[in-house]
Amino acid sequence: MIPGVNYDQRAFEDVRVDEALPGARDEITYRRVIMNPAATLDFYPGHHDPEFARAQGQPTIFVNTMHVMGFIDRLVFEWGGPRTFLVRRKVSLAYPVYAGDTMVGAGRVLDTRLEERQGRRRGVVDLEVTVDNQDGVRCASGHVTASLPLGGAADGDRPWWPRKGS
Amino acid sequence: MTGPSRTGYDVATGTFDEARAMVGHRTDPRTGSVVVNEAMVQQFAALAHDASAGYWDPEFAAEWWGGTVAPPAMLMTWLMPLEWTPRGGLPTPLLTARVPLPGDTFINASNDTEYFEPVRVGDRLSVEEELIDVSEQKRTALGVGHFVTTKSTYRRQDETVVAEMTNVLFRFSTGDGG
Repeated sequence: MIPGVNYDQRAFEDVRVDEALPGARDEITYRRVIMNPAATLDFYPGHHDPEFARAQGQPTIFVNTMHVMGFIDRLVFEWGGPRTFLVRRKVSLAYPVYAGDTMVGAGRVLDTRLEERQGRRRGVVDLEVTVDNQDGVRCASGHVTASLPLGGAADGDRPWWPRKGS
Repeated sequence: MTGPSRTGYDVATGTFDEARAMVGHRTDPRTGSVVVNEAMVQQFAALAHDASAGYWDPEFAAEWWGGTVAPPAMLMTWLMPLEWTPRGGLPTPLLTARVPLPGDTFINASNDTEYFEPVRVGDRLSVEEELIDVSEQKRTALGVGHFVTTKSTYRRQDETVVAEMTNVLFRFSTGDGG
């Protein structure tokens, strides 16, 4: 076990509909915005050049889609645990997250269900997620479908499956 | 703006009709320049402040995921063209930037990604992109432009489809928001 690393896993059977995720706040300094192209190789100038961003009608540089999605996924994994498989994530980007903003993430369980395919089972959870800035402006909202391990799952019950039809 | 690229992220310009004529176009498979690697996985996890053991503990990752796993949000990263190569030339832009439209800039509007298999350290992904739709002209707070919908299919080196992504991007002209 490595200190600080998240090993805490929630079993599918312990998830309750309407349960709120703990949520998180994340301060987006200029340094964090610039980390984003370094981490994602996305060198679109709107993510690192304030002069370019202003010429595009933006007040300054803003984080990219991958960063917003990474923040949403972190909300899900912190709540579900490191054996959680992200099945689907639908995100609408409503307003940019600029350098100097704080992302405020929240989520809630909408539904749980058991899926079966070719003799294999997995527990699936539907979540709604939102990302607001410090002023309460909705920056992103979406739905995440995640698969959590079943209590006492057999080895064949890994939470990922091949694509339908393949 | 066309011609020599100032930023490597310039977009093709043209008319709405030229863009509509491109709907249904599929790109040839393009293989990523970057092999999925632990250093970049951890750099992204550090960006997202994500402490999940699959990124930070190789023993845990090997046991549960079959290797250190890539954060799902990084999917597009593994297909990002390198800024410079010894061969020369400019990076191949994403399909969305190659659609000829009046707008000189873009911002992402929505993303829907479905994942089928984990992506692990050592994988090299390829992508095929398809232009699904170009909307009529719309006015938003940012400006006047068109919504461009693309679908990307991501495969691992063994041809297994690991993810499918539908992305909607707003191509618009700066300075005429309202």
